[in-house]
Amino acid sequence: MKLAQFQYLVPKTVEEACQFLVEYGPGAIVLCGGTDVVVRMRDGVIKPEYLVDIKKIPELNKIHYDETVGLTIGATATLNEISNSEVVQKYYSVLSDGAHEIGSLQVRNRGTLVGNICNASPLADTAPALLVYNAKVKIQGIQGTRVVPIGEFFTGPGSTVLESGEIVTEVIIPPITDAEGKYFKHARRKAVDLSSIGVAVLVLGKNENEISEVRIALAAVAPTPVRAKNTEALLKNAKITPELLEKVKETVLTDISPISDIRASKEYRYEISSVLVKRGIEEILGM
Amino acid sequence: MENYKISFVINSRKKELEVPANMTLLEMLREKLGLTGTKCGCGGGECGACTVIMNNKAVNSCLVLAPEVDDSEIFTVEGLAQGRELDVIQEAFVENSALQCGYCTPGMIMSAKALLTKNPNPTDEEIREGISGNLCRCTGYEKIVEAIKCAAEKMRG
Repeated sequence: MKLAQFQYLVPKTVEEACQFLVEYGPGAIVLCGGTDVVVRMRDGVIKPEYLVDIKKIPELNKIHYDETVGLTIGATATLNEISNSEVVQKYYSVLSDGAHEIGSLQVRNRGTLVGNICNASPLADTAPALLVYNAKVKIQGIQGTRVVPIGEFFTGPGSTVLESGEIVTEVIIPPITDAEGKYFKHARRKAVDLSSIGVAVLVLGKNENEISEVRIALAAVAPTPVRAKNTEALLKNAKITPELLEKVKETVLTDISPISDIRASKEYRYEISSVLVKRGIEEILGM
Repeated sequence: MENYKISFVINSRKKELEVPANMTLLEMLREKLGLTGTKCGCGGGECGACTVIMNNKAVNSCLVLAPEVDDSEIFTVEGLAQGRELDVIQEAFVENSALQCGYCTPGMIMSAKALLTKNPNPTDEEIREGISGNLCRCTGYEKIVEAIKCAAEKMRG
């Protein structure tokens, strides 16, 4: 089906992009990789009058690591650039794995991490990694710049804290050492599929079976990607035993609120979520 | 609605066009440039039949808007053969009978091209990943993987 008509705008600066968004209001949508926007236009889900293509804004095209600031990912960095980045693989492997799980090679050559979170799907594959790494989202608008923790960025399925006229310019992930993580994408097929469940587990301060902290985040099991707060509390400064892991499996169920949909039933999501959290801890500890 | 003037390189030739915003790269190739080797399967980035190489990367041309092509370099299946001489990858697909109906083949070949340009010595796993965004409904994947392996060997000489 042919796309409906719209105007295509190419701002050269973030300020200009924000101006366009303010000027044209809800009829204007930010375009980057187009792997979600163009599909939704084709399906008639959205009918923008203006597309604001941010790919020609040079300052947004970066993946930069600094020992004090951590990792900065610009809005136009593609998922493949992120998953293939040596610094991301070295310091933030859960994120390189999550980015690698999205769509297909072709989609990852165009799609971006910032697009993935702005889309705000509850099943976004990069969201669990960003949650366990305590990422921050930098937002720019006409009024200025603000920084929002990733945990507060999503407000519901498809919605975020972004106000009209604002764009996400970068995602910043603080430096982290002494951490080891895993990302599991549970889907019906290996490529070009949406996650039925996504689970990120990050273990900090591991010393044999003792750990100082475990951070757990899940996707596709709640209205937004979520941290498993109750389970994390249970695992604070814990010695991991098979008995404790059984308790972990039960506690995970209190952290999520899945629904049944085309990809999986609610019951299945509960079951697989607890299995994958347990498996993540076991694999990281080599149990 | 206004048209957008774009200039780009297509199969090593410079080209200038005026395109409407709501035209996809796939439509531009097929309808404006007569390059019908690139196929439309799903039109939504799921099947890979429309795969072309844009700035050295495999992309779904159904999800790229024509105005976005400005200043870029596009490579389609028509750009592979030299006159009547097939490219090594095309040759390998023929020799290995790596197609049945042939509809996914141009996309498969372009994904293989992107892969082998970057990685001349891929493992089976890397080949499978390289074509994971290309669906074949005749389920001929085994022979496709064989063909790409063969092409890689030939290209390495």
